[in-house]
Amino acid sequence: MTESVPLTWEEVARVYGRKIYNFAYRLTGNSDDASDLVQEVLLRVRKGLASYQPGSFEGWLWRITRNAFLDDVRRKNRRPTAPLPDEVDRWDRASAPSADLEYGRISIGDDVQKALLELPVEFREAVVLCDIVGLSYEEIAQAVAVPVGTVRSRIHRGRKLLRESLT
Amino acid sequence: MSHGGDQISAYLDGELARPEVDQLFSHISSCGRCAAELQHFQSVRSAVRSLPLLELPPGLVPEVDAELIPLHRNRGFLVGAAAAVVALVIAIAAILAPSTAAISVEELNSRYGARASLDPAFGPAKVVVPYVGEILE
Repeated sequence: MTESVPLTWEEVARVYGRKIYNFAYRLTGNSDDASDLVQEVLLRVRKGLASYQPGSFEGWLWRITRNAFLDDVRRKNRRPTAPLPDEVDRWDRASAPSADLEYGRISIGDDVQKALLELPVEFREAVVLCDIVGLSYEEIAQAVAVPVGTVRSRIHRGRKLLRESLT
Repeated sequence: MSHGGDQISAYLDGELARPEVDQLFSHISSCGRCAAELQHFQSVRSAVRSLPLLELPPGLVPEVDAELIPLHRNRGFLVGAAAAVVALVIAIAAILAPSTAAISVEELNSRYGARASLDPAFGPAKVVVPYVGEILE
């Protein structure tokens, strides 16, 4: 992982935009929410770059990204008509087929994506940051602000639940 | 030791230190349950990692498109490309001129080089074919 800091937020968008979108899509299960999240993250990056302190850029960026995701989940949960946490996943899954059809890249009956959406959020984000984004445990720990041991445990427990869901 | 537990995932992710790897495999060699777990977790990990990498929806980040063809950088590129083509034309002329054309390198440079630097529409596609042809006449 690179530790160099892109000079502009446009560079961040160009280099990381697709990764952020894939992170968001795998967590939310639909293109609309993923797109909203990408824009929100880039907005926060633009605001935050001015005060960015040299360090782990990956950790900084993915902390912003997962915080934006969690804020979105919390905002939906606050709405009177919003579904409860477990139902967020069902709601997301319900809208997934249109995104799948639109881009034609994954099948409508994508069992792995469905299984991901059934995971508790903390396990889902750990698995996605590891297996989709490709971060190390240390980088995930920085992004999620938990010890590396917790990351290790969450990834393992997440995979265990995935296995149960897929078999 | 107890069963492999989250050491199995850590091993698959390359996050296990060498002593822990040795310890894990020492255990797995005599524990069918953990040997099976290792295979199962490897399958799950591969399944997630084999999810396709999706493209960004078109227009989601307009600045990304703009970044690919920035106005100033593009203009600089065209001028540079035109200058490079002119230099190539001059080089060809220097080789061919003594026997095939009564035109000097200086004349080519002043005639076409000046035009290339002044005329923004003077692009590489317009330069290569006609001017090489002229030189060869």
